[in-house]
Amino acid sequence: MPLDLPAPNVIPPAGAPAVSAALTDTTVKVSSDFRGARIVLYGAVFDTKARPADVVVLVRGPEQPVRIARKQQVMGLWLNSRPVVFQGAPGFYRAASNRPLEEIATFSTLRRLGAGVDHLAINAPAEQRIETRYGVRDVVVSRLGPDYYDWRRAVVRLKEKSGLYHEDGRGVRFVDRGLFRAEIALPTGAPTGVYQADILLFQDGKPVSRRTRTLTVEKVGIERALYVWAHKRPWSYGLAAMAFALAAGWAASAAFRRD
Amino acid sequence: MDIYLPIAEVSVNAPLLVAVGALVGFISGLFGIGGGFLMTPILVFLGIPAPVAVSSMANHVAASSMSSVIAYSRRRAVDLRMGLVLAIGGVIGAFVGVELFRWLRLLGQADLIVAISYLLFLSVIGGLMLTESLGAILRRRRGDPQPPRRDRRPVWLYGLPFKMRFPRSRLYISVLPPLVLGGFVGVLSAIMGVGGGFILVPAMIYVLRMPASVVVGTSLLQIIVTTALTGVLQAGRNQTVDIVLASLLLVGGIVGAQYGARASARFRAEELRAVLALIVLLVGLRMGLDVILAPEEPFVLMSGLGG
Repeated sequence: MPLDLPAPNVIPPAGAPAVSAALTDTTVKVSSDFRGARIVLYGAVFDTKARPADVVVLVRGPEQPVRIARKQQVMGLWLNSRPVVFQGAPGFYRAASNRPLEEIATFSTLRRLGAGVDHLAINAPAEQRIETRYGVRDVVVSRLGPDYYDWRRAVVRLKEKSGLYHEDGRGVRFVDRGLFRAEIALPTGAPTGVYQADILLFQDGKPVSRRTRTLTVEKVGIERALYVWAHKRPWSYGLAAMAFALAAGWAASAAFRRD
Repeated sequence: MDIYLPIAEVSVNAPLLVAVGALVGFISGLFGIGGGFLMTPILVFLGIPAPVAVSSMANHVAASSMSSVIAYSRRRAVDLRMGLVLAIGGVIGAFVGVELFRWLRLLGQADLIVAISYLLFLSVIGGLMLTESLGAILRRRRGDPQPPRRDRRPVWLYGLPFKMRFPRSRLYISVLPPLVLGGFVGVLSAIMGVGGGFILVPAMIYVLRMPASVVVGTSLLQIIVTTALTGVLQAGRNQTVDIVLASLLLVGGIVGAQYGARASARFRAEELRAVLALIVLLVGLRMGLDVILAPEEPFVLMSGLGG
């Protein structure tokens, strides 16, 4: 992501405003009693001049292409349209800030940073073609036509509904001068993989400092063993699962046999 | 007490799943059916992705059918030869069905085909069963004699080649109708997540004209072979079998099935059929509503296969 702001985790020149942050947990273990997780992010703003500052926390999960279809009425029945694949969608996304994003920075800054669910860089490249329109060359046109934004909004809306995308304009709380706190809620359906948390410091609507922290979500124990078995050796898994089922059925009838 | 299902990747209440398994198991023991047609919609309603529900049901149905078929075979109520012919058809059908399901998922139409199959098959079969059983109940109330069962078998059943003797069923018919029937049920078991007993049993009685005493036991044999294969194929090709889910359902299911089978002796056959017909009809209509009513949310995310 091209950002014209200091590279992450580089010590800024003395006196320049900076942000620092840490996560209470850097790994989330998904085991059989997993019911989602809550991770707390703590951070501090360092600014000798104590100018007003805003903090934005962006958490992105591993990228997962999204397949989405629209229901269309055909002969009285609601059928699914051809699915459209959106690329660049994170499997989990959370934007938290101390006040609503649109009050912190301009549309174009938010768009450039991918800050906020409306500014995620997701698109459907398979639906795009480049053509010349009104004499202008290399215009990117989507085959979805003017409905394109409906589709894009639907991706975000459905992800929000399953708790995977969330934008919270009050998600970052200043608990003391320069000290802030944010909570990241991971739903049960959160994908496994490496998550990236970007902590951005804004002054006068400009990002002036950035920190990056990573978070790993992984399956552990028997959950992981079964998942790996089912995906790496699907045939032996299937045979074993069925043998177990048949043996259990046989055992039950033996146990309930009336002599 | 919630438990995280490793393949479905959702968290569900474990005692609730065991209870659902027991309830459906009781119904399946009561009516002598697999119960998959009831279980799969319930699982989807509980938030389990449809492909995982359909595939894991194969394991559950195989287990509960296994626990009942042994009881039937002790009573010599299984026509082994007919069961094997049906099963050969079922094996072919299962291969076709699993590939068809995979292709439908790629097209994004799997949910739709599942819903339409439920609407079509369950409402037709439920409707037919309901009229038949209500008729029988009314005639008994009025004291009318039951109509004599037409023993004349359809001519086309005898005109077909490849005839075979089925001594236990007292039949000498072509192997083609049972093969086609088995194959059809095999396809359904892969795409609907059902054993197919609700189609197999009436078809064996009214089309193949098998004696009622061997029908349920024989259909169970065919269901075990078909669902065992479907379960392995779904795991191998689609990676959608959740062993934790299937085991939880199984625990409740096999116990419930035994009590259901004992309870069935207390009711009249036509009353049981009328209640079953009503359940079948309601499930079919409920599943079908989704494709008929205007959806609240016009967009759907496709699960699985990179989505």
